[in-house]
Amino acid sequence: MSRVIVASKRPIWIALSIALLIHTGLISVQAGHRFDTRFVRMWLLDSLAPLEKLVDRSLYGIVYVWDSYFALIGVHQENEQLKQQVDELKLQLEKRREDVVEVQRLRTLLSIQDTGIGRTVVSRVIGRDPGRANQTVTIDKGLSHGVKPDSAVITADGIVGRVIHSSNFFSIVQLVIDSQSAVGVILESTRRQGVLKGNGSRELELEYIDDDNDLKEGLKFITSGQDRIYPKGLQVGLITLVGPRRGLLRTVQVRPAADLDRLEEVICILDHPQNVDVADPALGPPTP
Amino acid sequence: MVRITTLGIIGRFAVALVAVVVIQGILSFKFKVFGYFDLPLICSVYYGFTLGNPVASIVIGSALGLMQDSLSGAVLGTNGFSKTLIGFVAASAGSKFNVDQPITRVFALFLFTIGDGLLVSILGLMVDSRSGTTYSSALGGWILSATFNTLLGLILFGYHDRWGNATT
Repeated sequence: MSRVIVASKRPIWIALSIALLIHTGLISVQAGHRFDTRFVRMWLLDSLAPLEKLVDRSLYGIVYVWDSYFALIGVHQENEQLKQQVDELKLQLEKRREDVVEVQRLRTLLSIQDTGIGRTVVSRVIGRDPGRANQTVTIDKGLSHGVKPDSAVITADGIVGRVIHSSNFFSIVQLVIDSQSAVGVILESTRRQGVLKGNGSRELELEYIDDDNDLKEGLKFITSGQDRIYPKGLQVGLITLVGPRRGLLRTVQVRPAADLDRLEEVICILDHPQNVDVADPALGPPTP
Repeated sequence: MVRITTLGIIGRFAVALVAVVVIQGILSFKFKVFGYFDLPLICSVYYGFTLGNPVASIVIGSALGLMQDSLSGAVLGTNGFSKTLIGFVAASAGSKFNVDQPITRVFALFLFTIGDGLLVSILGLMVDSRSGTTYSSALGGWILSATFNTLLGLILFGYHDRWGNATT
């Protein structure tokens, strides 16, 4: 390895000081919220994320060609089974349609507000946090598509997280398992309210619940809607462990319903009806 | 002519740095285990060792860290600060020690990864005390990450040395 000998050390210290001052300044203004640094992140995100999307699409293309032409052996039999399933599901769907009409009619009669999830946009996950400190993913929709900070992100299986930074065409989503994430939940069977918190691992931890005596493995948590991020009634996860009491609460671990390791397409909720009038004081304000 | 050559070198460096951060993001997404690797850190250390120019190493580390911050939800500047220092220390070490020896590289990559994790966590905690995981799980993650980075770094350094020798 050839190395150039630097004659004077003064430029080195000047360069080091300037670089460290810039980063310290950036950290400092974000800590004090004295100056809006969103434009720096927006500019960097809009510059880097297209490249990430390009690489992602190229890889997707290769996988698509493989899946479409080389991995189709034995598909005929599976196709026949799926056709049968489709017919059965069509029948079930017709029945559900009747139920929906009936529920809507009853809602109108009882003047209950609709708790649907509102306008949504489907986006593709194109990357993950390049560091290990945060559990975040990058999606290919941003402010120009209506996705803004605090938009909820879900899949058909359950909640994924919320948008924390948006540029014009891309957004960073904080996963529910991130250590700074918290979700207001209800235990589906007993309707007890609580808060689930991420801890940076693959599972969520129970931070608070009204009464933890009836908790057992396999029970399901759904969103309560009280955090004003996620609409009420979405799947959050299943209890996988109920440990011994530590302080006031038992140690409870919850596996997220959505498979956060295999995210490809996600649904961003652009707006949803505010189904809760009073925020739960236990939740506090949304984390930055 | 000299200016065009200089611009060309800077351009190539810029493309390489952007590629490193983008590849890290994509691989972490496609393969969970890649979250334990830190290509920008390996890159900062490599250029620190090989360029022999601390100013360039500082700029490279700084740019890599800032890009890494922008693609994650991290506080802007935390990785930038850490990688700047790593670039500088690696460049200083490169002029004082024989960094061609595998043992030196093993120590350097391992210690730089632990130092990076520690510094990023401290800076993150200074901005938001709720950030970061528990110390025990963080330490386990850093050690795992340091081991993975050391192994990958050794392979990449070895490959670059061979490629560099072949082209000179």
